[in-house]
Amino acid sequence: MSPENEQHSDHGEGGVPFLPDHFVKELAVITLIMGVLIFLATLMPAPVGLPADPLKTPAGIKPEWYFLSVYQILKYVPKNVGIAWSFLIFPPILIIFPFFYRQYTRFKYGRLILHTLGALGVLFAVFLAFLAYLGFE
Amino acid sequence: MKLGVVDFLDERLDVRRIAREFAEHRVPDHVNWLYCFGGITFLCFMVQVATGILLAFYYQPTTASAYTSVLHISDDLPFGVILRSLHAWTANIMIIMVIVHMLRVFFHGAYRPPRELNWVTGVLLFFMTVTFGFSGYLLPMNQLSYWATKVGSEIAGAMPFVGQYIQNFMLGGAKISDPTLTRFYAIHVVILPVVLSAFLAAHFYMIRKQGIADPL
Repeated sequence: MSPENEQHSDHGEGGVPFLPDHFVKELAVITLIMGVLIFLATLMPAPVGLPADPLKTPAGIKPEWYFLSVYQILKYVPKNVGIAWSFLIFPPILIIFPFFYRQYTRFKYGRLILHTLGALGVLFAVFLAFLAYLGFE
Repeated sequence: MKLGVVDFLDERLDVRRIAREFAEHRVPDHVNWLYCFGGITFLCFMVQVATGILLAFYYQPTTASAYTSVLHISDDLPFGVILRSLHAWTANIMIIMVIVHMLRVFFHGAYRPPRELNWVTGVLLFFMTVTFGFSGYLLPMNQLSYWATKVGSEIAGAMPFVGQYIQNFMLGGAKISDPTLTRFYAIHVVILPVVLSAFLAAHFYMIRKQGIADPL
């Protein structure tokens, strides 16, 4: 197999055994994360808010933060274009691009270009979400 | 004759070999703290299962009593407010961790052959996690729940060709009402946990089978 096609890299001689070396580190991370979660839940409890009222639209309603970039882009492009991109075009691309790895790495900078596009996409999504958070129209 | 529990299980289920394989498998040297976000996501999922089951003991998925049952959990139940807040905070942290995990895998190129299928299961797990968040957001039936779901369903409704069908399917009618709530509840506590667990099993199986990707 070519180096790009290696498998079972965790069965060789290198590295550390999972138990106890790696497991101790995992326990440390688990403890840290549980601590953070309990800290947040105890000191910053989630508010119950006001009961739902279909007749009273609250000022500045926004979706949850992880939908903000989609929400914001729909303000700038025609709605059906934005929705088609966000729900029908982008997800399939995200799912299938690794299957074309050998095709695009045939070019010298294929992977670099792909990863740069990815980085720009992420930055753009964060930027859009930030605009939505600030309430830009 | 001495026959311990481990011997009993070992004869029938080969547990010693399985335990040894688990304990002794090598973790490659290049694994550093950047590799922990997938595991943290799984930890968050387990916290969500535990707190979610406890919340389900008290939560009532009807428009008449959803909000008051959540108030009851927060105000009357011992540690109820911590339970609910843990569920709400962990949901957000879980989504952050999925995203960071995906970014790590993407920029390390760990999606490359032979691991394409694990990338596919991972992306689907991400969409399921976000759907978990969206469906759970409605359940307390407060102002934020109602209006976020309204905006969300309107966006789905504007989808080309299939929008109206999807919106009707989501809401169980023309507007947010009891069918919407029971639907979102069924998706949130029955369908997604089962489907996501199955995909997690596949995700983990492939990691064990293929090993951790070497650095680029």
